[in-house]
Amino acid sequence: MAPYTDREIFELVRMVELETLDIRTTTLGINLLDCADPDLESTCEKIYTKVVHHASKLVETADSVAADYGVPIVNKRIAVTPISLVAAASGADNLVPIAKAMDAAAKEVGVDFIAGFTSYVHKGFTRADEALFNSIPEALDVTDHVCSSVSLASTKAGINMDAVRRFTQVVMETANRTADRGGLGACKLVCFSNVVEDNPFVAGAHIGIGEAETVLSVGVSGPGVVRGALARLSPDDDLNAVAETIKRTSFKITRMGELVGRETARRLGTVFGIVDVSLAPTPAIGDSIADILELIGVDVTGAPGTTAALALLTDAVKKGGLMASSSVGGLSGAFIPVSEDQGMIEAVRKGALSLAKLEAMTTVCSVGLDMVAVPGDISEDTLMGIIADEMAIGMVNTKTTACRIIPVPGMGPGDTVEWGGLLGTGIVQDPGKYGCAALMRRGGRIPAPMQGFRN
Amino acid sequence: MTRRFLTAEDVRRLMQSGGGELVVDASTVVTPQAQEAADAAGVRISSGGKSWSAPTPDRGPDAERAKNTLSHLPEPSGDSDDGRGVIVTVVGKNRSGVLAEITGHLATAGCNIHKVSQEIVEGYFHLILTIELDGSASFDVLKAELECMGGDGDFVARAMHERVFRFMHRV
Repeated sequence: MAPYTDREIFELVRMVELETLDIRTTTLGINLLDCADPDLESTCEKIYTKVVHHASKLVETADSVAADYGVPIVNKRIAVTPISLVAAASGADNLVPIAKAMDAAAKEVGVDFIAGFTSYVHKGFTRADEALFNSIPEALDVTDHVCSSVSLASTKAGINMDAVRRFTQVVMETANRTADRGGLGACKLVCFSNVVEDNPFVAGAHIGIGEAETVLSVGVSGPGVVRGALARLSPDDDLNAVAETIKRTSFKITRMGELVGRETARRLGTVFGIVDVSLAPTPAIGDSIADILELIGVDVTGAPGTTAALALLTDAVKKGGLMASSSVGGLSGAFIPVSEDQGMIEAVRKGALSLAKLEAMTTVCSVGLDMVAVPGDISEDTLMGIIADEMAIGMVNTKTTACRIIPVPGMGPGDTVEWGGLLGTGIVQDPGKYGCAALMRRGGRIPAPMQGFRN
Repeated sequence: MTRRFLTAEDVRRLMQSGGGELVVDASTVVTPQAQEAADAAGVRISSGGKSWSAPTPDRGPDAERAKNTLSHLPEPSGDSDDGRGVIVTVVGKNRSGVLAEITGHLATAGCNIHKVSQEIVEGYFHLILTIELDGSASFDVLKAELECMGGDGDFVARAMHERVFRFMHRV
């Protein structure tokens, strides 16, 4: 046995006990392609059966690993093959029964979420994609655990603006159907540019067609640990020291994630997929990305300097993670889900963090406009414009960007909506008074940029 | 590749006459609805001469390969991992006999102590023990016992696998 210094030992104890180090999610990816059937009812039967068959021991196994290694595993989730692919053979127009079968399976095995009510339409629609889009509002309304995502753009394909329009309509319809819950349905719905096929985090989790039969991936968290490490720096330490501290911390968190992930996979008898090294905040005090940015040196998140600080943070997290593991994947970086981060909620309340600044931050964070509330009466064109802008950032910068934006029915700028739990508190942002109706009316496709042609 | 699932629709199609036995491959998964349909029709679903029971989940060819070719953990320091190393940390109010109490318990639990480090800071002791479990001792039992040891306002003991520290601190 290697000897450890007292300092090393207490460092780990402090991370777990005081700085809320945890494994945010263990996500079991289950390939559902073999569940395709000409009969929709049989498709649902097979999906329910396969998910339960493979995931029945997931929660129990994750809990036993957490107990053994002393690191909490907060969520257990399931990601499946994009449902539009599985449902295509059935020819069904209404895919809500599949969402219900997924929901029932999630309840049976006791996971938090099941994600993969998904469709790839970055270049065009099949009949099955159309059916899936049409089914999303009802599916997210009548189920508790199902999450949905769609791919609208990529660096190789460009942006499918017709799909952006259809998605925008789906978001608004979903929010309106769940108006009694503050538009909660839209919190479980996300669109992507350069979608990631091994992402273990909801709402965008699913497993792509290149993945194995079943794959166990983990998402580590740890804003509290990074914050703790930065708080021990002196205000006079330069930015190299800041980057170095974040890198070292990220290295340690990633090692822990890989250990827990591999052990869980081994006990389940499946292959280990990836560690997603993402600083994922929660509404808990101290578990905040905004706090980290403010420790690096901006007065309030959203002030000038925020994008630079976030760029440093995201990059250092990735570098530490890549050094620690050869299996880093998913979204890896820093998430900025506004309503889930106490410091960011506070920044919006103070008027420091505008929608425009958030968009700028998404050019350097690991995802995009995440958990952003906008007025319920926002025009379709304006919402479409916001989404198209975000897709364009991803397309041109060869990076993943996403939009999880919630038009809150009956609310206007400055109003507060409580979604509860991990989803937190949304403060409705002002999208401004000018629109883009003429641009959006054109439809069609924004062609792929030069960067896409690297063959 | 054999049939992956047996659905209620399959049962209805295959057993139009009703009654009798439906034989499936050992790796086939029968859906709950198919089971119900079979029960309703008086059909017995069997596999290998016995009533069908759920097979072990087939995790695919990659999982098969991983079992044979990859060690399940990339051990950072090259140490062979026997999973027997444990690090115990204890923090509490200092009083005479507390170290003896803890180490005495470890001795009866079948632990071999490799390293002891203790410091007293302002009336509180911080103790770190690096120990090795002997063949028969169980980590779960030791952990549970240690966590129950300290009384109210006395001390708190925590046990963690040595492997966690190795992963975090060694390349």
